[in-house]
Amino acid sequence: MKSISIYLSLILHRMDLPGPIHDFLLVFLGSGLILGGLGVVLLTNPIYSAFSLGLVLVCISLFYILSNSHFVAAAQLLIYVGAINVLILFAVMFINGSEYYKDFNLWTIGNGLTSLVCTSILVSLITTILDTSWYGIIWTTRSNQIIEQDLISNSQQIGIHLATDFFLPFEFISIILLVALIGAIAVARQ
Amino acid sequence: MMLEHILVLSAYLFSISIYGLITSRNMVRALMCLELILNAVNINFVTFSDFFDSRQLKGNIFSIFVIAIAAAEAAIGSAIVSSIYRNRKSTRINQSTLLNK
Repeated sequence: MKSISIYLSLILHRMDLPGPIHDFLLVFLGSGLILGGLGVVLLTNPIYSAFSLGLVLVCISLFYILSNSHFVAAAQLLIYVGAINVLILFAVMFINGSEYYKDFNLWTIGNGLTSLVCTSILVSLITTILDTSWYGIIWTTRSNQIIEQDLISNSQQIGIHLATDFFLPFEFISIILLVALIGAIAVARQ
Repeated sequence: MMLEHILVLSAYLFSISIYGLITSRNMVRALMCLELILNAVNINFVTFSDFFDSRQLKGNIFSIFVIAIAAAEAAIGSAIVSSIYRNRKSTRINQSTLLNK
């Protein structure tokens, strides 16, 4: 009885929004994600597909807010939408000057084979997801966690772990970013 | 139920961007589909870290690293695409079969 009440309090504490609003937002963002994904792949004008990529990235950022990961949501919005999507838009507008409608998306045999392979990947992933018993795993991991109040917010927890446990990958990724950007500028310069 | 819905959404995004990456004749569209693949993986990481790991948030931290690597790769990819465009005046993927010229 005590374990059931602890389980329920953990579940209800994690979701901040009431049930119907949470479900409605999930359906809304999911449909935006589905349509945006189709738009990136299937639209012929590359500027339209770059803008629908921006829509997909914003929908994913709102997903992260629904999942209580506020720091990753802000990082996604700043880095992906603010930097990477703008860079891709620069590349699209700079490069595709004269060949807007030249690729008419002809349906070749390679397209059909790839769609078959991708559909089989999707079906196998969906059957694996629906066959796994997630609530058994939730039960075993929730019973191992210490129940305390939420004194530390999500961003503070990420900062603590980045500064103590994951300090070395943090430094390495700053070096990787520096080297990658210097290399990109050196390649694109002349 | 909610976990499975989010995982199915990320599996859909992954598979449709693999399709777009393989069958796109434009190099910039292939770059866009690569970013979508990395985002689908990030959705998985953040969802699992939210459902199973609220104490240590390892999935969240790994997804931050994936975002940083994706930024570096987008910069390098667009630099390569712009230098190829400068040399060959077109960005079709299937024209790069000749090693010279």
